[in-house]
Amino acid sequence: MAVLLESQGLTKNFGKLRAVNGVDYSIEEGKTYGIIGPNGSGKTTFFNLLSGFHQPSSGQVRFDGKDITNTESFVRTGMGVARTFQLVSVFESLSVWENLVLSTLRFKQSSYPRALPFFFRKANQEESLEDCFTALETVGLAGKAEKPTTVLSYGDKRLLEIAIVLSLKPRLLLLDEPFAGLSDYEIGFIMELIQSLSGKFTQIIIEHKISKLITLVEKLSVLHNGSIICADVPEAVLENAEVRNVYWGRGAGCD
Amino acid sequence: MFETILYGFTIGAVLYLFSIGLSLTFGTMHIINFAHALVYTLGVYSFIGFRDALSLGFVPAMLIAVVAMVPLAWAIERFVIRRLYGERLDYAIIATYALLLIGTDLIKVVFGTLPQSINVPIHVSVNVAGVGISLYRIIIVLVAVLIFLGLRQFFRKTVVGQIVVAALEDNEGVRCLGINISTYFSIVFVIGSALAIIGGILYAPISTAEPYMGMHILLLAFSVVIVGGMGSLTGTFYASFALGMLMALVGRFWAGGANAAVFLTMALVIIYRHTIKPRLHRR
Repeated sequence: MAVLLESQGLTKNFGKLRAVNGVDYSIEEGKTYGIIGPNGSGKTTFFNLLSGFHQPSSGQVRFDGKDITNTESFVRTGMGVARTFQLVSVFESLSVWENLVLSTLRFKQSSYPRALPFFFRKANQEESLEDCFTALETVGLAGKAEKPTTVLSYGDKRLLEIAIVLSLKPRLLLLDEPFAGLSDYEIGFIMELIQSLSGKFTQIIIEHKISKLITLVEKLSVLHNGSIICADVPEAVLENAEVRNVYWGRGAGCD
Repeated sequence: MFETILYGFTIGAVLYLFSIGLSLTFGTMHIINFAHALVYTLGVYSFIGFRDALSLGFVPAMLIAVVAMVPLAWAIERFVIRRLYGERLDYAIIATYALLLIGTDLIKVVFGTLPQSINVPIHVSVNVAGVGISLYRIIIVLVAVLIFLGLRQFFRKTVVGQIVVAALEDNEGVRCLGINISTYFSIVFVIGSALAIIGGILYAPISTAEPYMGMHILLLAFSVVIVGGMGSLTGTFYASFALGMLMALVGRFWAGGANAAVFLTMALVIIYRHTIKPRLHRR
């Protein structure tokens, strides 16, 4: 399997705080990966470095063989790196449908609106309808397409966010705590969704509860104080003494 | 009294045309752009320049002035504002204020400090309920309302408009969709500048065209943007007319209090938003 994304010695300092500390990470195309770690262990910062929200203090990120360390975030999205956020990020000033239309814009025209017809073009164009509808159907929101985003439940907003990143036609999905703030029912639905997507996309899922990831991912990495202390199949990670020690405290049970 | 109300609407219209750019720049880029006042003033002076040099009428000179200022507005965004993107708020204030001061002094060097005369292009007065009111003022108000409605359609219906609306909410989120947002910020900036210039030229005949005209309206417009909600498109519209009317009404009885009333309103709104409203919500 080809390596899709890798980081070498990836480090990010915020002042004196070293949030991500020399992380070497590598994933293969088509698999599903998990990253766990306590709050403040650097998970989201690591994602921000992969998606281009932060510039690393040192180290390198390569995607599909190309060095993207200094590539802007929107360009990375165009290359196929899409992400969701710990706090759901959808546009509440637009309707469900308009949210998706916005995300498929990139495919219809270069990102620079040179021509006036583009400038004044109506947003709901038929060419994008099919892609948008497919994405909404995948997450089960097709019936709510015309609704204003503000009336959706938090769980539905999370699904909409996933539909948006799917419509970006990504090669790599970065899901930052996709289960945070959801009910058990909704968590079950999103876990099924992630399972149905595995194989079609390469996915990395951040989560701080290990229990949700065991069945979902093929390889699990544990971040602690900005460093990866263990990376293996989930079962082996559970047995790892160092992980048990820093993650649950001495000999405590799994939550 | 009727005249006072129309006067309030006129000020409101001009405030709106000026504030929309200020509000959009803050809403999308989180930058307080004091150089907006420079573009406004330069627009009026270039209007005078084109009018005199080419012996043009009011409307053609206005259109040429707006078009002529587009490259300047673009350059300010590209080379000053964009470099401040993501920096601290006060850096942007210092940089754009410096630009305003430099530009104002350049205007003084070229045109002198004396007020320039611009004739009111339409001298017709309309008789409403026995009172003669100036048609020109009515036109200014109508222009502002039409631009408001046009912008509303633009932001609701067009691709560029929706990207900007989304960016007002969360510009990092728009970047996540693979959209190069700085392009759209340039567009918004140029639109805002053009509208301010239109407002300045329309207002000049019934006020005074002098090098500090932009600075005078800047602080009032800043209050409009705060009262209307930074980056709120409809809020800016209503706040402009509300504060314009307030200025006219206060000014009718106490000329010196007109500006003060606006700043007092701004202070009250800030106090309400930051002190009173959070407490109401907590209960």
